[in-house]
Amino acid sequence: MKQFGTILKFELNSYFKNKVFVGITLFLAAAIAAVMFFPRIKESIEGKETQTETAETGSSIEGMILFSTGGAGTENAEAIRQALDQAFTDYAVCLTEDGIEQIKEKVVSGEAECAFVMNGTLSYTYYVNNLSLYDRNTEIADEIFSTVHGIETLTASGMTYEEAGAALTAPVTHETESLGKDQMKNFFYTYIMIFALYMVILLYGQMVATNVATEKSSRAMELLITSAKPVNMMFGKVIASCLAGFIQLLAVFGSAIIFYSMNKSYWGDSMIIESVFGMPADLLIYMLIFFVLGFFIYAFLFGAIGSTASKVEDINTSVMPLTLLFVAGFLVVMFSMQGGSVDSLLMRICSYVPFTSPMAMFTRIAMSTVPFYEIALSIAVLIISVIGVGVVSAKIYRVGVLLYGTKPKISAIIKAIRKA
Amino acid sequence: MKLELKDIQKSFGEKEVLKGISFSAVSGKAFGLLGRNGAGKTTTIRILMDVFSADGGKVTIDGAPVNYQAIKIGYLPEERGLYPKKKIIDQLRYFAELHGMKSSEAVKAIDYWLDRLDMMEHRDKRLDTLSKGNQQKIQLITALAHNPDIVILDEPFSGLDPVNAMLLKDVVKEEIANGKIVLFSSHQMNYIEEFCDRIAILNNGSVAIQGDINEIKRNYVRDKLVARSDQAGEILTELGACCTKKEDGSLLIQLKSEGQKQEMMKRLTEAYDIDEIKVFEPSLNDIFVEHAGDHV
Repeated sequence: MKQFGTILKFELNSYFKNKVFVGITLFLAAAIAAVMFFPRIKESIEGKETQTETAETGSSIEGMILFSTGGAGTENAEAIRQALDQAFTDYAVCLTEDGIEQIKEKVVSGEAECAFVMNGTLSYTYYVNNLSLYDRNTEIADEIFSTVHGIETLTASGMTYEEAGAALTAPVTHETESLGKDQMKNFFYTYIMIFALYMVILLYGQMVATNVATEKSSRAMELLITSAKPVNMMFGKVIASCLAGFIQLLAVFGSAIIFYSMNKSYWGDSMIIESVFGMPADLLIYMLIFFVLGFFIYAFLFGAIGSTASKVEDINTSVMPLTLLFVAGFLVVMFSMQGGSVDSLLMRICSYVPFTSPMAMFTRIAMSTVPFYEIALSIAVLIISVIGVGVVSAKIYRVGVLLYGTKPKISAIIKAIRKA
Repeated sequence: MKLELKDIQKSFGEKEVLKGISFSAVSGKAFGLLGRNGAGKTTTIRILMDVFSADGGKVTIDGAPVNYQAIKIGYLPEERGLYPKKKIIDQLRYFAELHGMKSSEAVKAIDYWLDRLDMMEHRDKRLDTLSKGNQQKIQLITALAHNPDIVILDEPFSGLDPVNAMLLKDVVKEEIANGKIVLFSSHQMNYIEEFCDRIAILNNGSVAIQGDINEIKRNYVRDKLVARSDQAGEILTELGACCTKKEDGSLLIQLKSEGQKQEMMKRLTEAYDIDEIKVFEPSLNDIFVEHAGDHV
């Protein structure tokens, strides 16, 4: 046990004395500070600018949208213009008599943001320079054209313009009450947590493998195996890198919380920020459990793979199958999250398979309602697997560290493990 | 204290690496473990250090199975290597602590050895800033700092300049004088002859010959004489085919039988101006080639 403690201390010290590790941690904390202070800085700069701008132009309009009746003519051109003007609050909507070519030119040159040119009462062409992935302008315009057409039809049958307008645009109020989880609200922190889990396991797992291979290639292993028990070496390394990763996460999230609380008032009520910092405590505990178990299962395997490589260069190809397995699990979880189907059959299976459950089950807990027995079962399977993988990895390690030269075949390793 | 290996067997897969190795070494004496590359020396050492267990046979100390918690072993592997990027004091302390020392004890012992080996100025440097010979001295400290009962040195002199080799010789002699069991493995026979009282020559996984070096030498038939004389040419002519000139200029005289040696010595010293004449004893090198070299 003393030996394990010595190894743990030595390995942990290696991380803390590593300039890259310290540098990245500080950089991440600084980057988070920059993000968290951003609204405050923006406000102090923009506050001044807006004042001067208002003094000069008296408006805060960002651009111009052209609207043309396309020569077809409509009695309600002005009504449509007004409606568009109200819908696109940041823009001034101008009714233009220009021809199509001139309108296109203005859009391309950037003089106008975009243009709506009517082809008929219920048909128009939308001109825009670069169509954004999230452009919803046509949806807004569709509704306006449809409403104006409705008003026109109703006024033709004897209603007054106001009556028709009121009838068609009667406001509807609604309330949503989610009885389970609010996926929208939980999405962001789940996303961040899964991503953190993914990064830490992959980065630190690979570090364990490289670490072992470096000791082998520098022949420090010759002395190590005669000075320490392989099991102590393996567990010392894995737990040290788990702690290092955890401390880095703590530094990043800790600084996020500190800097957020310093700038809370400047963030207003941004949904993302509120979602992230309003994460329930029980979820943090689950996060911790799945992080530690998920980390162990992969880090043990990374360590075992590292022990079979003779040179550090071999590591990249040796760990590929394991990395692919992990990335596949990550992608399944990410796509399910974005598709909103976190309880699909695939996700259910993944939340019991030890290699994917840390991410899959955590996502389900965060974004859906999972019965406690399912969570307990998933964690139990994971714990048993971690122990099993730990024992097998220690055996591979014990055999692997003594093998030099050509990369051993899997069958040879299995034989050696059985004997060990 | 007596370290004994009895009938140690080990196979890796189909390959039988050790086929029943037995030898013993005692405190205050150095033991030479010899053998050609691949003869099984490293495997024997690893079994002795409990890196893996033997398929058969046993390792005992004073007749009882080795308690690896109580017995401390220091090892200088043939394949040298530590952590190139780490500070020397940090890694030396790490290895000393792995051997069960407290941090403060470890630092004290390491400082003693750094001083003893003239390496104190490098204490806080990174290992890769040192020359190969100096790195080897650092590695030697990992084998000695924890004051082991058994010291295993595998090719300790390779890569050392004559001054450092002299320093190491003194250190090894000190360790022997301090009552340690020193296990020596080397291909440089002169060092083995200098330090070791007993040897074992491994050949292809078995002990080809073992015992006290002088006894081994004595067991050879003493039917050859070595003579040194300014009149070598005349002696050669007189003795004819039974006398040959060696590379170093001395004469090797083959006698008909061991009993003839006294008579021949008298005859030559009376007839010629003889600087030196003695019974020929094979060097360790000759013994090694004879017992380990049958697969050349």
